[in-house]
Amino acid sequence: MSRSSPYAPHRRQRSARLDRFWGVLYAVPALAFVIIFLAYPLVRVFGYSLTSWNGIGAPIWQGFHNFGALVHDPVFLDALRNNVIYAISVPIEVIGALVIAYLLHERIPGWRVFRSAFFLPAVYSTVVIGIIAGVILQTTGPIDGSLRAVGLSSLAKNWLGSPADARTAIIAIVIWANFGYSVLIYLAGMSALDPQLAEAARMDGAGSWYILFRVYGPNLRGVMQLVLVINTVTAFAYMFTYIYVITNGGPGFSTYSAEYFIYDKAFTFGQLGYASAAGVVLTLIIAVLGYFQIRWITGGQQ
Amino acid sequence: MTIATHDPAAAQTEAPPAPWRERHIRWRRDHRLPARVLIIFALVLLALSAIFPLYFMAQAAFRTQAQWNSSELVFPTSLSFGTFKQVWLGGEVGVFLRNSFVITVGSTALSLVISTMAGFSFAKTRWPLRTVTYYFVLSWLALPPVVLIVPIYIEMVQLHLINTYFSVILLYTAFNIPFDTFLMTAYFRSLPDDLVEAARMDNASPHQIFRMVLVPLARPALGTLAIFNILYAWNEFIFALLLLNSNNVKTLTVGVLQLQGRYTINYPVIMAGLLVASIPVVAAYLFFQKFLVRGMVAGAVR
Repeated sequence: MSRSSPYAPHRRQRSARLDRFWGVLYAVPALAFVIIFLAYPLVRVFGYSLTSWNGIGAPIWQGFHNFGALVHDPVFLDALRNNVIYAISVPIEVIGALVIAYLLHERIPGWRVFRSAFFLPAVYSTVVIGIIAGVILQTTGPIDGSLRAVGLSSLAKNWLGSPADARTAIIAIVIWANFGYSVLIYLAGMSALDPQLAEAARMDGAGSWYILFRVYGPNLRGVMQLVLVINTVTAFAYMFTYIYVITNGGPGFSTYSAEYFIYDKAFTFGQLGYASAAGVVLTLIIAVLGYFQIRWITGGQQ
Repeated sequence: MTIATHDPAAAQTEAPPAPWRERHIRWRRDHRLPARVLIIFALVLLALSAIFPLYFMAQAAFRTQAQWNSSELVFPTSLSFGTFKQVWLGGEVGVFLRNSFVITVGSTALSLVISTMAGFSFAKTRWPLRTVTYYFVLSWLALPPVVLIVPIYIEMVQLHLINTYFSVILLYTAFNIPFDTFLMTAYFRSLPDDLVEAARMDNASPHQIFRMVLVPLARPALGTLAIFNILYAWNEFIFALLLLNSNNVKTLTVGVLQLQGRYTINYPVIMAGLLVASIPVVAAYLFFQKFLVRGMVAGAVR
């Protein structure tokens, strides 16, 4: 932020008043949207979470009963545990995307084509990815087909059939779908680095990988934290559509995430109060992550 | 910490510090031949996987149902266009396309205008509570959208916006604003205060400074945000499913799922529908992609 007022001294007072007026005016629309469509609904969620409500009658006040029930609800706890499992994608993205971005930054042959291609998975809609994944992973799909063709039919199976396989498939698809964003952020970070850093290391005889992990790595700490946090939030807050279109939560409840639990309780079971309580818990968990996110992203500028 | 490019001209032209050919030669020198081949092979595989969904949809869409075999991946010898006709006539895809266009253009335009104004306010003006307000707007980055489904549904019913374009246009704008504002604020901060001061010396009002000086310089960041917002609105699923029930307003992303319901195992038709739904966003991505890294450099990377 600009620390000193960028005005000529003799006009400072008039300008400061003008500035205040226009500054507030320009922030109002953004603030209004956030309050009307995000903050106010979230306050309502906090309210519902203290009630028992089926959406038709009036909500019945229950105090913190829903939260007590949640703590002992094995389906909810398993859903949260699955979110933690889905977060396995985070370290893979943070390291993998760094290496890929570095190769592109080093102008590997074909880097323009690679750079264009790597963001494509982020362009496809999740619904498209989910339907195609369903076709690819089924027993009649191309994976099992080619396994049979090369005589490995014992390895052929329904890749969404068991809980472990289904979760692995979801993690792999989410990593694949999002790595373009991580690579993009790293590329932007690398192009903002001072090229003399790498030059100096090179003069001292440093190799390519040494430069990546010992020179670029430390200088990209802020960018790495951004990638880390974005992917962590994805694993907790943006898994719903993937699960909905790939496994529908199954087999059983084995690929449930906390979001899926909330959706299911609200729309399948009509337990709006209980779903809201789960929403509050998930929001609080992510608020902790979000707190660090804001601190990391903006740290050093404040 | 990271040394950032503060010169807006440098940020705009994305000029590599050394000519890329030089880095390319250095890359060859740094890695032995087997390593080079392995690395390129891995990246080619990754790039192929990124293009694969487009290929898969295309080869399936040109089949008839009798030719469909989910384990086959080569184009059929005789191309059939019947699926597209079926999708167009039976699936109301024309209407869905129009809806997706209106909603995507509307929410992207609104998000960009509002967050550019907010970015100006937070980066280049001074007023009480500015920093607190900035963090308040940013904090919604970490909110899982699913948490808000119940109160947002109720709110949209109360506002009589259910089944209208406005419901999702306004909502998508609200969900875009935290990140858009973050990037615009960072971008405007990276522009020197001297620019603003020089304009002030010429008696320009804050509004004129915004319109005449800052907005024209913000094009790279606006291009980046345009891609992100277009992708989000075109591909968003949960709220489109929740708020748009009638076919008159439904988006293509939800529409193709409906297609899957109607044609259950007629995969060629479903894949044709998915292809029609994907081509506009892929085209938009290819059109805007030159902005992708540029706009991020000054923004998210510090």
